[in-house]
Amino acid sequence: MRRKRSNLIGSKSKLLVTKLSTFVFVIGLAVIVSFISINSEATPLTTQEFKPQIPLGLPVDLWNELIPPDNPMTASKIALGEKLFFDKRLSVDRTVSCATCHDPATALADINAVGVGIENKKGARNSPTVLNTMFNELQFWDGRAPTLEEQAKLPLINPIEMGMPDHKAVVARVQEIPEYQKEFVSIFGKEGVTIDTIAKAIASFERTQLSGNSPFDRFIGGDKTAIPEAAKRGWELFNGKARCISCHTFNKSSPFFSDFKFHDIGVAAKDQNFSSLARRARQLLAADPKRATQILEELALSPGFSELGRYLVTKQPKDIGAFKTSMLRDIELTAPYMHNGSEKTLMDVVVFYNKGGEINPNLDGGMRPLKLTDPEIADLVELLKTFTSDESRRKAQNLKPQTRAPFPQ
Amino acid sequence: MIPLKWEKRLQEYLQNRELWIKELYKAGSFWEGRRKFLKMAAMAAGVAATNSLLPHSFQLVDIVNAAPQGQQPFTFAYISDSHLYEKTLNERFVRQLERAVADINALDPQPDFVLYGGDLAQLAQPGELKLGAQILKQVRAPIRMMVGEHDWFLDLGDLWKELFGKPYYSFDHKGVHFITLMSVNEKDFWTAKNLSPMQRMQIVSGLDDGRQSSFEVGEEEREWLARDLANVSKTTPIVVFSHSPLYKLYKPWNFWTDDAEQVQALLKPFQTVTVIHGHTHQVLSNRIDNIHFHGMLSTAWPWPYAPQGLPKLTMQMNRPDPFNQTEGLGDGIIDVLGNGRVNKRYDLWNRNPLFVSAQYLDSNGASDNPSKTALPSY
Amino acid sequence: MNRLQWIKLSVITLCALSSIIFYQSVKAQEPVQLPTHAPVSSDGKNMVVQLCDGETNMEVKGVKPGERLSPDQAQIVSNQLMAQWLAKQPKEVTEAWMKENLIVKNDQKANAQTTSSNEQSAQDQPIDFTGRDYQMWKKELEQEVSYGDQIFHSDSLLGSTNGVACAMCHPHAANTHPETYPKFQIQLRRVALLRDMINWCIENPSRGAKLHPDDPKMRALEAYIMAQRKGTVMEPGKH
Repeated sequence: MRRKRSNLIGSKSKLLVTKLSTFVFVIGLAVIVSFISINSEATPLTTQEFKPQIPLGLPVDLWNELIPPDNPMTASKIALGEKLFFDKRLSVDRTVSCATCHDPATALADINAVGVGIENKKGARNSPTVLNTMFNELQFWDGRAPTLEEQAKLPLINPIEMGMPDHKAVVARVQEIPEYQKEFVSIFGKEGVTIDTIAKAIASFERTQLSGNSPFDRFIGGDKTAIPEAAKRGWELFNGKARCISCHTFNKSSPFFSDFKFHDIGVAAKDQNFSSLARRARQLLAADPKRATQILEELALSPGFSELGRYLVTKQPKDIGAFKTSMLRDIELTAPYMHNGSEKTLMDVVVFYNKGGEINPNLDGGMRPLKLTDPEIADLVELLKTFTSDESRRKAQNLKPQTRAPFPQ
Repeated sequence: MIPLKWEKRLQEYLQNRELWIKELYKAGSFWEGRRKFLKMAAMAAGVAATNSLLPHSFQLVDIVNAAPQGQQPFTFAYISDSHLYEKTLNERFVRQLERAVADINALDPQPDFVLYGGDLAQLAQPGELKLGAQILKQVRAPIRMMVGEHDWFLDLGDLWKELFGKPYYSFDHKGVHFITLMSVNEKDFWTAKNLSPMQRMQIVSGLDDGRQSSFEVGEEEREWLARDLANVSKTTPIVVFSHSPLYKLYKPWNFWTDDAEQVQALLKPFQTVTVIHGHTHQVLSNRIDNIHFHGMLSTAWPWPYAPQGLPKLTMQMNRPDPFNQTEGLGDGIIDVLGNGRVNKRYDLWNRNPLFVSAQYLDSNGASDNPSKTALPSY
Repeated sequence: MNRLQWIKLSVITLCALSSIIFYQSVKAQEPVQLPTHAPVSSDGKNMVVQLCDGETNMEVKGVKPGERLSPDQAQIVSNQLMAQWLAKQPKEVTEAWMKENLIVKNDQKANAQTTSSNEQSAQDQPIDFTGRDYQMWKKELEQEVSYGDQIFHSDSLLGSTNGVACAMCHPHAANTHPETYPKFQIQLRRVALLRDMINWCIENPSRGAKLHPDDPKMRALEAYIMAQRKGTVMEPGKH
């Protein structure tokens, strides 16, 4: 076929084609060159290409889609973000960094039931892992931040986390440090140090914190020997009798074990008079519209109100006591579990679901007693253990936990 | 400590409350107010604090009663179609009725009364009806009972009447004349076939069981209704409770009342008539001349929309998620306005509440439209 | 008749009777065989390929029975078989078949052009699904359909032993009419679903091993075939 077609083109037209293509090539080259030069004028030093290493099992196309156009990934920005992430000077008394509660030694999560901030102040919610959080639809257990950038700004000024009075103070603190100032200018140009650029750098680093390449990913990829028989039985249960899959969605397009939606499974509903609590929260949230974000932040971390979950954000009764479906990768390393760290082991979690959660007026309609036998519970736990990435396991074995010692001045 | 700070802010808020409410009055009707406020709230970065925005249990201040004309406005609530089996057979339906009771009891302020919309039991068994009566005793507000076919066709109402009284009656409340009908009478299809009471009950309990007759109010009760209405002024607002829709929607499922036209004719001389009905387990709105019709939600299961005959004014609710056993269910409140018309709120359990206003029906769908369904039935 | 004769006669009668009874019982025990299409006998030198109507067949010269056809050979064989079959059909059937082929092609063009937008307007009742959800559903379905597409076009993925792939007779899944199932399939002597006919074709023209109804390949094939017939009116029982 091809041969025929090329024969059909006469020698005259061949010549024309050659001329034309040369012309197009020259024009194209000019356009590309000018584009590069325009681009490099606008953002001088952010053109270093960053080539992500997407581990086995994660969708490359989705990773690319979820990089915000206004915060492209560059190697220098990621390096800056990493430094900020581990820097205790970002907290008011220079004792706590992001990594304090998101510790690489425990898969970027926390061994404490609830976050412990400055002066050992206790929050009300368990610190989730940072791994794969770039794939979350909304951030925080109650989804009160839409992006990693917005999320990164909030613990900084939460009075019981990093305790900075406001974002201005955070910017001032970073500006005090000469090396940071230089780096910010070289990466963000004129914008320099602002709360937005700080958040952008941290978020960029977080977008490199990925978890894949687990025994389970190899199993799904076709290696039937990658996980033990017990885990294979667990996978059957996960998709069937144990009903896990109805919220912990897993498929090739979204391999994160979460539907990213909010459900009341009864963890929060114990011993609470929810309707009057909700009424009080609503009054408080409305009290000062200018400080709405700050009040929400405080309520979210105060015992009692915190248990209202998604309701604090939407103020819809259907969301009372509802929390985001947790992703399950590296789950073995991120104990304790649930939004308040109330379940100590994976076995406890499965037993909690087996009894149908805690009955309360707002209980999610998908919850019901599962009637799993003890061996079936054990199989599910075996399955959950295969979700741990090789890298997270290696780090858990080799890294020392983060310390709270003051940052050297 | 933080709570103290909040306490102070709360005080400030309560002081400013009057201003907020005045702002809303200026905005016009309650419904326009809701709209305007939504905009305001959006501008104020998601802050929201008016009664109109507050879904069921969490009302702060009562601004519904901003009466522009006529009598004193008020609110009543409803629970309907619980279809109880005995607890050992089906605990879920029991729990769902209990949830509705908890919802209504948490309303603040409390409604003037609660309408129970019929089909308390599934097969009219004594165990079912008595269980229902026991749960409904926990309702704080006074309760008005209506009967459904599932409560009736085992013993033709003997036990129901013993437990709850007359199956049809009328009463006056704050200037509105209320009528509760027994609209699920059926012509005798059982004697000729020599059916047992249980066989009769089971046939009637099948929505699509064509062996039964059509629902009707019946001649005797229509005569009673005519007599009852004879003493009522034509300008008095009338609210009718009926288990079946008092119009003809879809006969194969008895979304239907056979003598609907005759009943409507009796109601026609009155200026303002509203019918609240059960049986259909869904958001359903209609208007025929001077009569507005509203369906009620079930606490047991939602029905699909009828394949034909859906009223033009009905804005369907999103179709329920079959994987979630409380989807498409709920309860709700009815605000009776100063002019005797009603605004209907459907409090769906897993969703945001849905509003169908008097203005929407009055304008034949020209204004104040309820939010559109994003997931229509197939 | 003497005594011996009597004995002889009764023995013969007994034998005859018992053999009849034996034959009947054997016959009763025989499982009811669903019809299969045995390979048409030839001299055994050349491969014989049979169409799924169970009648049309042809000998492929130069290919021994049990050997595998090359894709080109297989396509030529299936073209000739389909041509033979079409030649036997009344004019209406032939025309309908051609028309369906054309419709499938046009449909595919149209599908490629329409971009579905599931954006929710501000006035709608809120739903829990976001753009990410819609995207995920679409991708997952596309993967399933595209896997089915591969199997449909590959004799080896299908498990064919003679090189015959589905698409050789059914380009774009034309003439698979999934919308006519379930229906009483005369050849199978029972009500058949689409999957029964897929298995029939795997076993007969393609000489492969049939798939379990839950086999991922079966699911993918069904997904592909039905996706090609999107928008067609359901007509179960149509012959």
